[in-house]
Amino acid sequence: MTHDLAPQLFNGLVLGAFYGIVAIGLSLIMNLTGTINMAHGSFMTLAGYLAYTMVQRGMSFWVALIVAPLIVVIVGVLVERGLVRPLYKREPFYSLLMTFGLSLMAEEAFRLIWGPNGVPFSPPPALAGAAALGFMSFPTFRIFIAGVLIVAIVALALFLTRTRFGLRLRAAVQDTEMIAALGTNTQVLYAVNFGLGILLAGIAGVLAAGMLGLSPTSGNALLMPAFVTVIIGGMGSLFGSIVGGLLIGMAISLTTLFIPAASEVAMYILMAIVLLVRPRGLFGEEGIFG
Amino acid sequence: MAKNAFDRRTFVKGAGLGVAGLAMGVPAFIPRLGEAADTIKLGLLEPYTGVYAGPAENETRGFDMAIDMWNKRGGVMGRKIEIVKEDEQNDPGVAAQKARKLVNQDKVVALMGTVSSGVSLSVSGVSNSLGTLFMDSGGHSDDVTGKSCHWNVFRTCHSTWMETHTTGYTLAKHFGKKWFLITPDYAYGHSLETGFKDVLARIGGTIVGNELTPLGTTDFSSYLTKIDAAKPDLILVLVQGDDYTNCLKQMNQFGLLKKYAVGGPQVELESLYGLPAEARQGYWGIEWYYKSELTLGKGNAAAHQFVADTIKRYGKPPTARNCFGYVTADRLLTAMRDAKSVDPAKVARAIENVHFTSIFNGSAYYRKEDHQLMWPMWVAKIRPSGTPGDPLDLFDVTDIQAAEAVEQTIAQKELVCKLGYP
Repeated sequence: MTHDLAPQLFNGLVLGAFYGIVAIGLSLIMNLTGTINMAHGSFMTLAGYLAYTMVQRGMSFWVALIVAPLIVVIVGVLVERGLVRPLYKREPFYSLLMTFGLSLMAEEAFRLIWGPNGVPFSPPPALAGAAALGFMSFPTFRIFIAGVLIVAIVALALFLTRTRFGLRLRAAVQDTEMIAALGTNTQVLYAVNFGLGILLAGIAGVLAAGMLGLSPTSGNALLMPAFVTVIIGGMGSLFGSIVGGLLIGMAISLTTLFIPAASEVAMYILMAIVLLVRPRGLFGEEGIFG
Repeated sequence: MAKNAFDRRTFVKGAGLGVAGLAMGVPAFIPRLGEAADTIKLGLLEPYTGVYAGPAENETRGFDMAIDMWNKRGGVMGRKIEIVKEDEQNDPGVAAQKARKLVNQDKVVALMGTVSSGVSLSVSGVSNSLGTLFMDSGGHSDDVTGKSCHWNVFRTCHSTWMETHTTGYTLAKHFGKKWFLITPDYAYGHSLETGFKDVLARIGGTIVGNELTPLGTTDFSSYLTKIDAAKPDLILVLVQGDDYTNCLKQMNQFGLLKKYAVGGPQVELESLYGLPAEARQGYWGIEWYYKSELTLGKGNAAAHQFVADTIKRYGKPPTARNCFGYVTADRLLTAMRDAKSVDPAKVARAIENVHFTSIFNGSAYYRKEDHQLMWPMWVAKIRPSGTPGDPLDLFDVTDIQAAEAVEQTIAQKELVCKLGYP
């Protein structure tokens, strides 16, 4: 059974990085405005379907991979301005319920537009098939995804730490009122931050459509692991989201190897243990929400 | 941060609440009020949301076409037929609740529908306690017409025993006897596993791996990475719906379709349409097909009419699911006409052992002893890109099996199934 271990670990890492990037998007939005975005999965699905339609119309996969998430960002910012913003002053449950309703509406809309069945969306020929890694053959597309995720995470980290705007964002997370008093337009911050989270969702959505499958429910199916990732990694920590994602990916892979029947509950058990031992999550800051 | 202050516990509760809500969904149909009293109302339960939404839509189209046809003829006993649809959300609990609602509130005289076996079994139990007929159009688990059979329940689609015994021998002949199973972890999958074990016991084959995957699995990678170590002759894919599409697509990306043969007890056009051509491979059991003499029967005018009407009305050829819906409603209404009644027991007696021809090859009957529809089953080889004139023509039907040859015998069924008429 040990010769299966390396493939499972590697596979778990790639899967985990994927959960991580979805979780970072959720986390960004949650940290600044306290909005628990239940429609995050719908934005992923939307990006997937847009990319699918573009490729159907003859555009290249590469164009779709960039353009589809950007369109979704525009939709996301409109949603933030029109629907989420009026709820910032209320309890977080209001925006949670609103985005949850939005996700249900989105799912039905996808069903109406693209039909209830899954649709075929494949990676481009250059990324199709499997590459021999020595210890296993692994889909080229998943290796590509791992690369994209690393680039996205590094770019995000640089943006948050090296740009003026990124500094303001991080400062606003610490103390929004002070930042506003110092003359920063917090409404612009909120919109850009929301858009950033949705951009990550959009990229992840196109990648997931190529890697896993694309149907009206596919984004929402990935939302649960992403929430668990945020809780394990710790609220408020983007680094935590990455570590949380990797842990979940490996937990799922390893339990599939040793106790297949438990693979579904593995991430919840992990979450329960983390919450018992360290209630704020692995890298969470104490009282980030209070 | 004070204005949106809330602590981690509230968040965890809130997120939990939201995710629980995610699983519940919304009703797709709201029943109409103020209907005429002299109509015959039939209740239709289908998973319009969830992984089986595609098959659900097509079953519904079949039901609608049969009912429209009967209404055009003047209904049954001079009464118009009306159909009340509910979204059972692929959830046995929701389905039970909706079944009660249809019977108690909407006053339907019979229930029809379902895709997932878990839901079929749930509705079967509820309908029995309510004393209402239930026609299972699309849930395959043996138990529906086996150990959980009831006098008021009939099944149109094939049982898992029929599926496994139609395909098992053919697959072994083509590819070998060392099988790796990817099985959905609920009633349907377990029932298929039992069937295949029986086939393997007869031909001396082995199961070298059996991965139980939860219904609604999106990522199959951790199961697929175990296949190389098991070195099977054949990978049998038992999952259905969106799970089937996701699984085959990922098998292709892992390069498994180049290394191993693939096949299974059942494939549906709905799932195949969602796959890229290079992932469409192998030999599979099929339950009907719109473009083969072997499935439609030679010179079967009704079948050809049904195909033409479906294409005209919906712009897409019918699948096996359209056929299930059509046959189910048509036989139920025929029995009501013959019994001159909507009384459940009288209608049930009028369905049993009545031989009929329909939109498929040969004649068929709902067997008296277990209420399983005894009709042929077929094996098809997949044509990845269809035929030159028709890219949707994906099945090359190679084999037909008579129901009696692949279903358990009456003697075997009588050991487990007690219909228990009142």
